[in-house]
Amino acid sequence: MKRSLPVDELARDDRFVRSSIEDRLTDPRSAARAGAVAEGRGRRRRPISPDQPGAPDAARSLMHGIFVGEVQALEGAGRTCWDFDLGAGDDEVPFELKLDMARQCWDEARHVEISCALAAWMGTAIGEFAESTILYEAACNDDPVMRLTGVNRALEGLAIDVFNTMREFGQAAGDPVLEFCEDWMLADEVTHVKMGSDWLRRLTAQDPDRRARALEFQKVVDKLFSYGGIRGDDDDSPVRLARRFRELAGFAAAEIDEIAELSREAARDRAAKASARQSASRQGG
Amino acid sequence: MADPRAPRAPFAPWDRRELPGAFTVEESAVRVGHYKWIEMKLFEVLGGWVATVPELDVKMRLGTHTYHHAWHAELWHKRLPELREMNPERLTGPPNDELVTFVDAMTEPEAPDLTIEKLVGAYRVLIPHKIAAYTYHLNNTSTITDAPTIRSLKFALQDELEDWRDGEMLIQSLIASPEEVRRAADHQGRLEHLMVLAGGIVGPGSIGDSSAPAAGNGVVS
Amino acid sequence: MPVSVSPDTFTLVDFDPAAIAETAEELVGQVGLPAGLDVRITIDERTPLGRVTVESLEPLVLRIEGGAFEDPKRPRQLSRARVVDVLGLHLFQARDRLDPAFGAPPVDADVPIAHKVAWDTHAMGRVERLGHPAQRQRRLYHFRNRHGFTDAADAAFDRLWSADRLSWPELVEIVG
Repeated sequence: MKRSLPVDELARDDRFVRSSIEDRLTDPRSAARAGAVAEGRGRRRRPISPDQPGAPDAARSLMHGIFVGEVQALEGAGRTCWDFDLGAGDDEVPFELKLDMARQCWDEARHVEISCALAAWMGTAIGEFAESTILYEAACNDDPVMRLTGVNRALEGLAIDVFNTMREFGQAAGDPVLEFCEDWMLADEVTHVKMGSDWLRRLTAQDPDRRARALEFQKVVDKLFSYGGIRGDDDDSPVRLARRFRELAGFAAAEIDEIAELSREAARDRAAKASARQSASRQGG
Repeated sequence: MADPRAPRAPFAPWDRRELPGAFTVEESAVRVGHYKWIEMKLFEVLGGWVATVPELDVKMRLGTHTYHHAWHAELWHKRLPELREMNPERLTGPPNDELVTFVDAMTEPEAPDLTIEKLVGAYRVLIPHKIAAYTYHLNNTSTITDAPTIRSLKFALQDELEDWRDGEMLIQSLIASPEEVRRAADHQGRLEHLMVLAGGIVGPGSIGDSSAPAAGNGVVS
Repeated sequence: MPVSVSPDTFTLVDFDPAAIAETAEELVGQVGLPAGLDVRITIDERTPLGRVTVESLEPLVLRIEGGAFEDPKRPRQLSRARVVDVLGLHLFQARDRLDPAFGAPPVDADVPIAHKVAWDTHAMGRVERLGHPAQRQRRLYHFRNRHGFTDAADAAFDRLWSADRLSWPELVEIVG
């Protein structure tokens, strides 16, 4: 079996259909909608709340996204066990890191199990929604430090924010199963983010350049995964940064502030791009 | 109540543990080093296979079992210094080139339509041989002097037996045609042959020597 | 029964208006709407959202955001299952409103969300009995979110789902 499995070779059964980030970015309706919002005509995104008519379906869709993310996190951690030799080189990993990744495999496998049970509870079929493979793509980096930083700090950090948001949604809706599942998965994610923080520090202790590159990669992933500002620290952010849990996971307050600012930046970028597209289409038409 | 000051036997009447064992400290350390190596090879490949199997239930079980074998590797890694091997890496390795050949062959299947071959290699060949070698070690080492190894062997064996059952049931659920029966049998035969050449997971003597007198068989003072 | 779908061609999504019309005609017949009722379906393809507005009953005019008919697995592609789900629900509710025996529910904008979800449940139970997939567990999840995760709520759901013909007062009474 080869090292470094490309994303298009991820094995799935027939229920799963993939959508690429390009599909979403080039969807002409997204630009039209963002432009309308920017001009004050469209509906703004709001934090998910049980009083919204579409909240149960929004929760189902979001949790299906989490489910496929868990599958990919499982696959990514598994590949880190396989892809690297033991050693101290930049393309090698310590024995203990592999043990942590194996532990993460078990945790993610449980999360997939939890997500399947939760999907059945919420009336969602496995594969009902398209699968985005961005998480696994972040796990394909050839440098294990980049991989750990992109996946464990950026993406598992996002998982902390989402699980906390959905746990609160479950509490507000009175859904005991959703709240229970999110609470347990949240505990594991804090462990995984802390793992990423610890390994980043240990592996780059003597190599500040490598640490800087890893943190830069994390910023790119964080910005990409703020989904144009949907995940942020503002009152109207649909997914709120879970500050307390991020601190437990080893994030400094300044790092969390920086992620919040990246989200605002992403929201501004998105609005500017949408306005530009709207203007271009008006001039063209 | 019995008199607390009255002398009592150091071994209670129901405690039948015995001092002699089949292994010296060095022999036990060598076996443990091979155990660590094979557990590492197994958890690495199970982790790697997770992304290559399309069956969702198999994917999840492989993820869970990846951790079991990593934990066994960690147990053996920690046991080595206790067996006077202060550089655990020195003894972490295969017993011979033949076992490397076996591992290479076992880890070869990659395509998404080879789940049967992947599972057969792990669950019908390697894990049964691990269970055999661990059981032989457990039943022949000194129950008094080597108690820490025994404790780890028991933990590992509990996982191995349960994982073997999980894997075997997955295989049975995947084999539905004569062609699949043949695929499983052919692959098992090929790998079993390589394992025989290696002599087991710790080389010749993995499960003792059947032609030699039994060791530690109640020959006590 | 005449069913019209507009626009005639879609540019932002890959929808086939003829396929939508065909499914709608099949459902209109199955649901039992009055013979000769003019049904007009207008789709706003500019949005991936999925809101549906009933603009009038006679003729029956449905204004539908394009996301409502979109395949959740394949962006911008039409899903027949979604068309059946969305139209089945709204056609049954239109039939209820056109039936004097049903009673007089408030206009859509004034129907409390808890009652709306109960009515959706009643409609989708009937869609399922027509032989179409109706995602019962999904509808139960919607219902529980409005009426509580309790045995009493589940019992109310079962009554609404399995009833063939409830009046508005009966429906409101079931959910209290």
